[in-house]
Amino acid sequence: MAAAYLTHQQKVLRLYKKSLRHIESWCIFRDKYRFYACLLRARFDENKHEKDMVKATMMLKAGEEEFWANQHPQPYLFPDSPGGTSYERYECYKVPEWCLDHWHPSEKAMYPDYFAKREQWKKLRAQSWDREVQQLQAETPADGPKSEVLPPARREGDLPPLWWQFVTRPRERPM
Amino acid sequence: MAARIIARCVRSLNHRSVYFNRVNTAATLTAAPLTHGRTFSHLTNGHKSPLAQISGSSFQVFQWRAYGDLPPLTLETIHDRVLYVLKLYDKINPEKLQATSHFMKDLGLDSLDQVEIIMAMEDEFGFEIPDAEAEKLMTPQEIAQYIADKKDVYE
Repeated sequence: MAAAYLTHQQKVLRLYKKSLRHIESWCIFRDKYRFYACLLRARFDENKHEKDMVKATMMLKAGEEEFWANQHPQPYLFPDSPGGTSYERYECYKVPEWCLDHWHPSEKAMYPDYFAKREQWKKLRAQSWDREVQQLQAETPADGPKSEVLPPARREGDLPPLWWQFVTRPRERPM
Repeated sequence: MAARIIARCVRSLNHRSVYFNRVNTAATLTAAPLTHGRTFSHLTNGHKSPLAQISGSSFQVFQWRAYGDLPPLTLETIHDRVLYVLKLYDKINPEKLQATSHFMKDLGLDSLDQVEIIMAMEDEFGFEIPDAEAEKLMTPQEIAQYIADKKDVYE
């Protein structure tokens, strides 16, 4: 989303998802969960055609309060999600890519193809850097950027701004 | 596999030394395709001499540890699993489902249905898809691409 505020639809969908997840934490048997999930879906469905925003917002508020009252104390979290068991577990192994430049030449000689290609990428980065900065300066409003989203490349043959950070990002599970 | 049995024999013969001769790494690599590449990462420095020198001087340690992990994902398996889960959903007609069929426009689903689909994908692949990115995923192709992006499949 471009703006920092959530639309009403987004808020409703987030409430729906988290209430389904908490129902799943409460109802450990799958058929029972399915039953209560269908009931919840019916409750959301009967009100989804509401056109009056005031009423819709009041219903959303009531829904959020009901969720807060009925939430599970230890909801099921996926291991990689925030609060899960392996969240950020492998962050310490994600070495930034500039460390590759500090390798000894004998170590670099073990992977000649990779380092040759890396030199080409670095040349490409040096060439496109000025254009990326120019594009960002042109597109950012005067107060500062409104959100973290970066714009795509506008001109033909141009690379998206700050592509190097994205292309050389570490793996999710470092080897 | 032969090396493992031979190593066990050696281990039973000689209790004091923990080191075993590493024999035929090529054979072990082909014979144990399910072992993760990590366990062999430190053993790639050339081949050692065959079994005849088991009582010789230079030994190297190897461990047959299989870490608990899922089988590696490929683009085809991700795509197949995404389509399989979508075909199980009762509001989708399996004949009309394509890789590029849009949930809202082509299949006539709701945004609540899209949330349910994303939740099913999270359950299938075992990791959470944040809400900000989940609301943008509108075709099976996009979902498969997102999962491949997150799981570093053929980066």
